[in-house]
Amino acid sequence: MVETRVEFEPKAHPWAAIRKLPIGTEVEITQPNGRTWHGLIVPPHELSGPETVQLKLASGYNVGLQISAADVLTVIARPRRARAASPSAAAPPPDGPWVALLRTGGTIASRVDYRTGGVSPVADERELLSVFPALDAGGPVRVSSVFERFSEDIVPADWVRLAEHVGAAFRHGARGVVISHGTDTLGFTAAALSFLLENPPGPVVLVGAQRSPDRPSSDGFTNLPAAIHVARTAELAEVVVLMHAGVDDGKFALHRGARVRKMHSSRRDAFQTRNAPPLGFVDGDRIVLDPAARKPTGRPFHVDERLDERAALVWYYPGLTPARFRSAARGLRGLVIAGTGLGHVASANVRWLRRAVGDGLVVAMTTQTLAGAVDPFVYSTGRELERAGVLYLADLLPEVAYVKMLWALGRSTDPAEVRRLLREDRAGEFEPRRPLEAGP
Amino acid sequence: MRAGLEVHQQLATSKLFCDCPSELSEEVRATVSRKLRPTGGELTGVDPAAQFEASLDQTFRYEVVPTSCLVELDEEPPHAINPDAVEVALELALLLHADPLDEIPVMRKIVIDGSNTAGFQRTALVAVGGWIDVDGTRYPIESVCLEEDAARKILEDRGEVRYRLDRLGIPLVEVATGPEITSPERARAVAQAIGALLRATRRVRRGIGTIREDLNLSVEGGTRVEIKGVQELRLLATYATEEVARQEMLLRVKAELGRRGAKPPEGEPTEVTELLRGVKSGPVATALARGGRAFALALPGFATLLGRPDAPGPRFGRELADHARTAGVAGILHSDELPTEAVGEEAVRSIRSRLALAEADAFALVASPDAQRAVEALARVRRRAVAAFAGVPPETRDPLPDGTTRYSRPLPGRSRMYPETDVPPVPVPRERLEALRARLPELPDATRERLQSQYGLPEDAARQLVQDGEAVRFEALAGRGHPVPAISRLLLQELPALRARPAFREPSDEALGELLSALAEGRFAKEGLAPVLEAVAVGGQRAGDAVSAAGLSLLTEDQLEAVIERVLDSNAALIAERGRGALSPLMGDVMREVRGRFDGKAVADRLGHALARRVERASPGT
Repeated sequence: MVETRVEFEPKAHPWAAIRKLPIGTEVEITQPNGRTWHGLIVPPHELSGPETVQLKLASGYNVGLQISAADVLTVIARPRRARAASPSAAAPPPDGPWVALLRTGGTIASRVDYRTGGVSPVADERELLSVFPALDAGGPVRVSSVFERFSEDIVPADWVRLAEHVGAAFRHGARGVVISHGTDTLGFTAAALSFLLENPPGPVVLVGAQRSPDRPSSDGFTNLPAAIHVARTAELAEVVVLMHAGVDDGKFALHRGARVRKMHSSRRDAFQTRNAPPLGFVDGDRIVLDPAARKPTGRPFHVDERLDERAALVWYYPGLTPARFRSAARGLRGLVIAGTGLGHVASANVRWLRRAVGDGLVVAMTTQTLAGAVDPFVYSTGRELERAGVLYLADLLPEVAYVKMLWALGRSTDPAEVRRLLREDRAGEFEPRRPLEAGP
Repeated sequence: MRAGLEVHQQLATSKLFCDCPSELSEEVRATVSRKLRPTGGELTGVDPAAQFEASLDQTFRYEVVPTSCLVELDEEPPHAINPDAVEVALELALLLHADPLDEIPVMRKIVIDGSNTAGFQRTALVAVGGWIDVDGTRYPIESVCLEEDAARKILEDRGEVRYRLDRLGIPLVEVATGPEITSPERARAVAQAIGALLRATRRVRRGIGTIREDLNLSVEGGTRVEIKGVQELRLLATYATEEVARQEMLLRVKAELGRRGAKPPEGEPTEVTELLRGVKSGPVATALARGGRAFALALPGFATLLGRPDAPGPRFGRELADHARTAGVAGILHSDELPTEAVGEEAVRSIRSRLALAEADAFALVASPDAQRAVEALARVRRRAVAAFAGVPPETRDPLPDGTTRYSRPLPGRSRMYPETDVPPVPVPRERLEALRARLPELPDATRERLQSQYGLPEDAARQLVQDGEAVRFEALAGRGHPVPAISRLLLQELPALRARPAFREPSDEALGELLSALAEGRFAKEGLAPVLEAVAVGGQRAGDAVSAAGLSLLTEDQLEAVIERVLDSNAALIAERGRGALSPLMGDVMREVRGRFDGKAVADRLGHALARRVERASPGT
């Protein structure tokens, strides 16, 4: 038996219908005041109010309309299927020199996210080559995605994964490797790869963009092809970062992976080699390398896969009490301090630091001035800290020292061996000479 | 004709998305070079206009000035939208009876001609609907937008365009009318009325280039064509008239092609370098002498439609040449303007036979030192010739100083806009609108009537003060007791005459007041006002210094007497002949020496007396 029920439903609210319409539907919405809006439904803005539809008018402008019960909705046309960009990323031929492009997400490969109103990584694997149609003009580029995330979401385990992918690319015959990466923590990743990749046989070029590729002025449009060019042709066998050398498009700087830092939140030339000039420059097809740039040696290539994350980086500041400072080091094997000036923290910390070092904590000192080197012998606090067992790491950048700490802790459980590894120049991370022209 | 107007007016606030002052600058501190490339919008592909510019593969160079920061350079994200500018736009929307949106989202409008470092212009729709009454007709207002001005183009050379960053980011309000304007004269009147309303907000910039109009025009059977960036209101009607003639010409060409049964041209350019070796002068000879090559393109059925150079009115040949130039060549020659002295009959005959042309066929010829450019130029000529079969192609055109326009780029489509996600949308609470509505500025007509009745100004002076946006300043100065005729002369004649000068800076009300006081006190002669004002507004002097300098050159009564006597002495013959009738020419001579150094009226008075004395002395008997 069929049960029938009669309900007196109020007329459905137009919002119920509108919210179900697919993006791109052409609609007409007539409001009680007589105004009629005609446009395409586009993704809503994150900050739009409730029951608000975003329409793109014929003029191109978007308007946010708050839908009320009295509005009248007419669907004019269903969305047309957008033509997909034709992918030009055919699999590279098995022989001949090729470049591996490893993607990690971030700004160089992202699109506007209309849901959040922000910039987010692209979902489509091949979109990169549709954005850069001429990328493989000089030879094959094999694109693969290692992970897709904002660089601020990257964790040390990702560095290991990335290093393994670089290793695999070289083992499969890549001439060079380019890694596209968000710029926020690009310096950390560059440092990590510098330590994890021992004797890379060719260039490992990290590249990013300070302006998102959803705008015609993105620096990624020139950075990425330049990075591919370096990976394909440069006589270079180390980890470098390629970004704009200045605010002009077309001139690029190569920075050694273990000496580079993002020094500006937005400028195209945010990346700088600290305490020294960059390792090289690229201008059009011309690549100029410093004599110190590492050339292929033929020595065995090895990828390290051990990082011990039981370490912390602490930026010292007036008001950081010894108790709070000490609690930051609890349960750790390594502590990197970004100290003041030549490498100081309040002398009240000497006691607990001495005890902690005695208990096996490796404590390393760097400077928060980000230029120049630490020196324990100039002031008495430095001398006390040094006597307490704090390791002074010359001109190593605080972030680089932290990354190197994870790597060194991963190599040995013996604090003395960890200290030896930290002091040893592994990837050109120390610069004993600081010429005047390197600047403050 | 049917036309709509977009009036763009710079606002006198700081910039729209950063905290730089809205000021032009002549001090270039550095230059930065950039490339741009189009990106996809949210729904469809890349915009045709954007694609066109990308095909030019240009390098853009930007001049950095003290009034620009990292935001103009696209080295820093935009700051939040300037609330002062939003307020002016809302005020204007209310004055135009338009409905402001509940929420104002900022959009990116793709413009990759380099005029915006980001490759897009930030723009926001503020209000829709509305109307304005002009000379008894009600014109609909479609929208009021708030957008950032583009960088100022300084020069364009092959492959490089140079812009200055000072203008980039200055807030602009854009008022768009519906396509209901039916004559060139009305277009001008509507533009003028909107301009007066803009100035009624009292927060707009003044001077050349601070207000610009775009004219969207079509004739019956034609297509919407946009004439972009008209700076001189007096030429607006001329551009409209010329555009009507141009579209009518294109429709005639279309009709004639149909009548002839012509087919759109399909052929490729043919090299004709060897056939032109005999050419000894003109651009063809120059190009070939520089190692260039020449190519010709057959245009079947186009003979006589391209237009002889001496034919009056718009010519289709010029359309082809404009398109060819976008490929970077100097221009084209076409068969309707050949033979010439340089390219003779023999050369024309050989080209025609090489292309196997019939009598009704035409050809276009391009010679360039860069063969690739020449071929590309002819490809563009062919595309334009194909479009002739459809009549009037939709496009954007640049206004030229002679009242004509030139092809600039295809009309941008809808996909050129997508949301500016770096800037949150601006909510417009109802209370804010009510507060604005409660203190809207006086409308231009009301201000004019009040100026007439309250200050006894003649109607045309009052109208002009309102039109020029000078009503506020007029009242401020009149309120301080300065004489009305002197103020209106200052604001309506002396100042406008100086505004076109590059170094012109708008003097403050205080400076103008100081000048008027000094004038009233007789510290310089009435004729001295113009040079003193010039010293202040153009020379950058302080008002007090300019007045003192003018005062130093004032003549004493005795000195004036001496000049008069000297002039009279040297004109004895003239006086003898014309008696008192010699006053006028003599006045000219005297004023040449004393202008600005003695009050003109007093000079006339003294000269009259002195002349009378001489005339009486010469003929005592009468």
